Amino acid sequence: MDVIITQEADKTMVVLNGRLDTTNADRFQQDIAPLMNMDKPDIEFDCTDMEYTSSQGLRLFLMLQKNVNARQGKMIMKNMKPQVKEIFDITGFSNIITII
Amino acid sequence: MKVRFEPIAGKTAQIIEALMASDDMPLNDELRFKLRLCIEEAVENVVDYAYEGGNGFVEVGTYIKGNELFITLEDSGKPFNPLDKDDPDITLSAEDRPIGGLGIFLCKQLMDEMAYAYENGRNKLTMKKNIN
Repeated sequence: MDVIITQEADKTMVVLNGRLDTTNADRFQQDIAPLMNMDKPDIEFDCTDMEYTSSQGLRLFLMLQKNVNARQGKMIMKNMKPQVKEIFDITGFSNIITII
Repeated sequence: MKVRFEPIAGKTAQIIEALMASDDMPLNDELRFKLRLCIEEAVENVVDYAYEGGNGFVEVGTYIKGNELFITLEDSGKPFNPLDKDDPDITLSAEDRPIGGLGIFLCKQLMDEMAYAYENGRNKLTMKKNIN
Protein backbone atom coordinates (compact mmCIF):
# COMPACT_ATOMS: atom_id res chain seq x y z
CA MET A 1 0.00 0.00 0.00
CA ASP A 2 1.49 3.30 -1.09
CA VAL A 3 0.48 6.29 1.01
CA ILE A 4 1.00 9.86 -0.17
CA ILE A 5 0.16 12.57 2.34
CA THR A 6 -0.03 16.20 1.28
CA GLN A 7 -1.16 19.25 3.19
CA GLU A 8 -3.33 21.92 1.50
CA ALA A 9 -3.98 24.77 3.91
CA ASP A 10 -5.85 23.11 6.82
CA LYS A 11 -6.75 20.01 4.84
CA THR A 12 -4.70 16.81 4.81
CA MET A 13 -5.04 14.80 1.62
CA VAL A 14 -4.09 11.13 1.71
CA VAL A 15 -3.88 9.11 -1.50
CA LEU A 16 -3.99 5.34 -1.00
CA ASN A 17 -2.73 3.01 -3.69
CA GLY A 18 -2.68 -0.76 -3.55
CA ARG A 19 -3.56 -3.48 -1.11
CA LEU A 20 -3.71 -3.15 2.65
CA ASP A 21 -3.23 -6.53 4.26
CA THR A 22 -1.49 -8.44 6.99
CA THR A 23 1.89 -8.12 5.26
CA ASN A 24 1.95 -4.32 5.21
CA ALA A 25 -0.45 -3.18 7.94
CA ASP A 26 2.44 -2.35 10.30
CA ARG A 27 4.03 -0.10 7.72
CA PHE A 28 0.69 1.55 6.99
CA GLN A 29 0.30 2.24 10.71
CA GLN A 30 3.67 4.03 10.66
CA ASP A 31 2.71 5.90 7.49
CA ILE A 32 -0.46 7.31 9.04
CA ALA A 33 1.09 8.00 12.46
CA PRO A 34 1.49 11.74 11.65
CA LEU A 35 -2.29 11.93 11.16
CA MET A 36 -2.79 10.88 14.78
CA ASN A 37 -1.01 13.90 16.10
CA MET A 38 -2.89 16.83 14.64
CA ASP A 39 -4.94 19.53 16.25
CA LYS A 40 -8.47 19.48 14.73
CA PRO A 41 -7.53 17.16 11.87
CA ASP A 42 -9.31 17.53 8.53
CA ILE A 43 -8.40 14.40 6.61
CA GLU A 44 -9.55 13.32 3.18
CA PHE A 45 -8.62 9.89 1.85
CA ASP A 46 -8.66 9.33 -1.89
CA CYS A 47 -9.37 5.60 -2.22
CA THR A 48 -9.58 5.48 -6.03
CA ASP A 49 -6.67 3.05 -6.24
CA MET A 50 -7.14 1.23 -2.96
CA GLU A 51 -7.59 -2.36 -4.10
CA TYR A 52 -8.24 -4.27 -0.90
CA THR A 53 -8.28 -4.15 2.86
CA SER A 54 -8.35 -6.94 5.40
CA SER A 55 -9.39 -6.63 9.05
CA GLN A 56 -5.84 -5.49 9.76
CA GLY A 57 -6.52 -2.38 7.69
CA LEU A 58 -9.98 -1.85 9.16
CA ARG A 59 -8.63 -1.74 12.69
CA LEU A 60 -6.26 1.07 11.72
CA PHE A 61 -9.03 3.12 10.07
CA LEU A 62 -11.07 2.70 13.27
CA MET A 63 -8.12 3.80 15.42
CA LEU A 64 -7.73 6.86 13.23
CA GLN A 65 -11.45 7.69 13.32
CA LYS A 66 -11.45 7.44 17.14
CA ASN A 67 -8.47 9.77 17.24
CA VAL A 68 -10.10 12.25 14.84
CA ASN A 69 -13.31 12.28 16.89
CA ALA A 70 -11.39 12.82 20.12
CA ARG A 71 -9.66 15.82 18.53
CA GLN A 72 -12.91 17.27 17.17
CA GLY A 73 -11.70 16.84 13.64
CA LYS A 74 -13.20 15.33 10.54
CA MET A 75 -12.29 12.56 8.18
CA ILE A 76 -13.78 11.39 4.92
CA MET A 77 -12.96 8.58 2.52
CA LYS A 78 -13.90 9.07 -1.10
CA ASN A 79 -13.96 7.15 -4.38
CA MET A 80 -13.91 3.77 -2.70
CA LYS A 81 -14.22 0.78 -5.03
CA PRO A 82 -17.49 -1.15 -4.57
CA GLN A 83 -15.78 -4.35 -3.38
CA VAL A 84 -13.81 -2.41 -0.75
CA LYS A 85 -16.90 -0.43 0.27
CA GLU A 86 -18.71 -3.72 0.86
CA ILE A 87 -16.16 -4.63 3.54
CA PHE A 88 -16.84 -1.31 5.28
CA ASP A 89 -20.59 -1.94 4.98
CA ILE A 90 -20.54 -5.50 6.34
CA THR A 91 -18.57 -4.47 9.41
CA GLY A 92 -20.71 -1.41 10.14
CA PHE A 93 -17.74 0.87 9.45
CA SER A 94 -19.80 2.78 6.87
CA ASN A 95 -21.85 4.09 9.81
CA ILE A 96 -18.88 5.40 11.76
CA ILE A 97 -16.62 6.59 8.93
CA THR A 98 -17.88 9.11 6.37
CA ILE A 99 -17.59 7.48 2.95
CA ILE A 100 -18.62 9.56 -0.06
CA MET B 1 -4.90 -29.54 -3.41
CA LYS B 2 -3.25 -29.80 -0.04
CA VAL B 3 -0.09 -28.02 1.11
CA ARG B 4 1.71 -28.18 4.44
CA PHE B 5 3.68 -25.28 5.88
CA GLU B 6 6.06 -25.71 8.77
CA PRO B 7 7.11 -23.51 10.44
CA ILE B 8 4.40 -20.96 9.75
CA ALA B 9 5.74 -17.79 11.39
CA GLY B 10 6.21 -15.11 8.74
CA LYS B 11 4.67 -17.30 6.05
CA THR B 12 1.19 -15.78 6.02
CA ALA B 13 1.60 -14.31 2.53
CA GLN B 14 2.99 -17.57 1.11
CA ILE B 15 0.14 -19.61 2.58
CA ILE B 16 -2.45 -17.22 1.13
CA GLU B 17 -0.81 -17.29 -2.31
CA ALA B 18 -0.61 -21.10 -2.29
CA LEU B 19 -4.37 -21.31 -1.71
CA MET B 20 -5.16 -18.61 -4.26
CA ALA B 21 -3.08 -20.49 -6.85
CA SER B 22 -5.14 -23.67 -6.42
CA ASP B 23 -6.84 -24.92 -9.60
CA ASP B 24 -10.06 -25.12 -7.57
CA MET B 25 -10.23 -21.33 -7.23
CA PRO B 26 -12.78 -19.56 -9.42
CA LEU B 27 -11.63 -16.98 -11.98
CA ASN B 28 -14.30 -14.40 -11.20
CA ASP B 29 -12.59 -11.32 -9.72
CA GLU B 30 -15.34 -10.46 -7.25
CA LEU B 31 -15.39 -13.99 -5.86
CA ARG B 32 -11.60 -14.13 -5.70
CA PHE B 33 -11.56 -10.86 -3.76
CA LYS B 34 -13.89 -12.31 -1.12
CA LEU B 35 -12.12 -15.67 -0.99
CA ARG B 36 -8.73 -14.00 -0.59
CA LEU B 37 -10.04 -11.94 2.28
CA CYS B 38 -11.50 -14.98 4.04
CA ILE B 39 -8.31 -16.97 3.47
CA GLU B 40 -6.20 -14.16 4.87
CA GLU B 41 -8.37 -13.82 7.96
CA ALA B 42 -8.44 -17.58 8.58
CA VAL B 43 -4.67 -17.99 8.10
CA GLU B 44 -3.99 -14.99 10.32
CA ASN B 45 -6.23 -16.54 12.95
CA VAL B 46 -4.16 -19.73 12.99
CA VAL B 47 -0.87 -17.85 13.05
CA ASP B 48 -2.10 -15.63 15.90
CA TYR B 49 -3.88 -18.14 18.11
CA ALA B 50 -3.09 -21.77 17.40
CA TYR B 51 0.51 -21.66 18.53
CA GLU B 52 0.35 -18.46 20.61
CA GLY B 53 2.87 -16.83 18.32
CA GLY B 54 5.16 -19.85 18.50
CA ASN B 55 5.73 -22.19 15.65
CA GLY B 56 3.94 -25.22 14.33
CA PHE B 57 2.46 -26.41 11.08
CA VAL B 58 -0.62 -25.66 9.09
CA GLU B 59 -2.06 -27.79 6.35
CA VAL B 60 -4.24 -25.90 3.93
CA GLY B 61 -6.32 -27.36 1.16
CA THR B 62 -9.09 -26.82 -1.33
CA TYR B 63 -11.59 -29.10 -3.00
CA ILE B 64 -14.77 -28.82 -5.03
CA LYS B 65 -18.04 -30.67 -4.44
CA GLY B 66 -20.72 -29.85 -6.96
CA ASN B 67 -20.96 -26.06 -7.11
CA GLU B 68 -19.21 -25.58 -3.82
CA LEU B 69 -15.62 -24.71 -3.04
CA PHE B 70 -14.25 -25.93 0.28
CA ILE B 71 -11.17 -24.38 1.88
CA THR B 72 -9.65 -26.26 4.80
CA LEU B 73 -7.07 -25.33 7.41
CA GLU B 74 -5.64 -27.78 9.95
CA ASP B 75 -3.14 -27.18 12.73
CA SER B 76 -2.01 -29.00 15.84
CA GLY B 77 -2.05 -25.98 18.13
CA LYS B 78 -4.11 -25.72 21.29
CA PRO B 79 -7.84 -26.30 20.74
CA PHE B 80 -9.36 -23.03 19.64
CA ASN B 81 -12.77 -22.59 18.06
CA PRO B 82 -12.82 -19.19 16.37
CA LEU B 83 -16.55 -19.56 15.67
CA ASP B 84 -17.31 -19.52 19.41
CA LYS B 85 -16.61 -15.84 19.64
CA ASP B 86 -19.59 -13.47 19.74
CA ASP B 87 -20.11 -11.36 16.65
CA PRO B 88 -19.15 -7.70 17.10
CA ASP B 89 -21.94 -5.19 17.65
CA ILE B 90 -21.76 -3.30 14.36
CA THR B 91 -24.24 -0.64 15.49
CA LEU B 92 -21.89 0.92 18.06
CA SER B 93 -20.38 4.38 17.61
CA ALA B 94 -16.69 4.77 16.76
CA GLU B 95 -15.98 5.65 20.40
CA ASP B 96 -17.60 2.46 21.67
CA ARG B 97 -16.36 0.05 19.02
CA PRO B 98 -13.49 -2.10 20.28
CA ILE B 99 -10.41 -2.32 18.05
CA GLY B 100 -10.14 -5.67 16.27
CA GLY B 101 -12.23 -8.81 16.37
CA LEU B 102 -13.44 -8.47 12.79
CA GLY B 103 -11.50 -11.17 10.94
CA ILE B 104 -13.60 -14.25 11.59
CA PHE B 105 -16.76 -12.13 11.51
CA LEU B 106 -15.87 -11.16 7.92
CA CYS B 107 -15.40 -14.84 7.03
CA LYS B 108 -18.80 -15.66 8.51
CA GLN B 109 -20.42 -12.90 6.47
CA LEU B 110 -18.67 -13.61 3.18
CA MET B 111 -18.62 -17.41 3.12
CA ASP B 112 -21.76 -19.53 2.88
CA GLU B 113 -20.75 -21.76 5.77
CA MET B 114 -17.98 -22.07 8.33
CA ALA B 115 -17.36 -25.23 10.34
CA TYR B 116 -14.91 -26.07 13.12
CA ALA B 117 -13.93 -29.39 14.63
CA TYR B 118 -11.17 -30.58 16.96
CA GLU B 119 -10.20 -34.08 15.86
CA ASN B 120 -7.13 -36.24 16.39
CA GLY B 121 -5.34 -33.39 18.11
CA ARG B 122 -6.04 -30.99 15.27
CA ASN B 123 -8.03 -27.81 14.84
CA LYS B 124 -9.94 -28.16 11.58
CA LEU B 125 -11.58 -25.13 10.05
CA THR B 126 -13.61 -25.52 6.88
CA MET B 127 -15.02 -22.67 4.82
CA LYS B 128 -17.59 -23.29 2.12
CA LYS B 129 -18.61 -21.03 -0.76
CA ASN B 130 -20.94 -21.58 -3.67
CA ILE B 131 -18.89 -20.59 -6.71
CA ASN B 132 -21.41 -21.19 -9.44
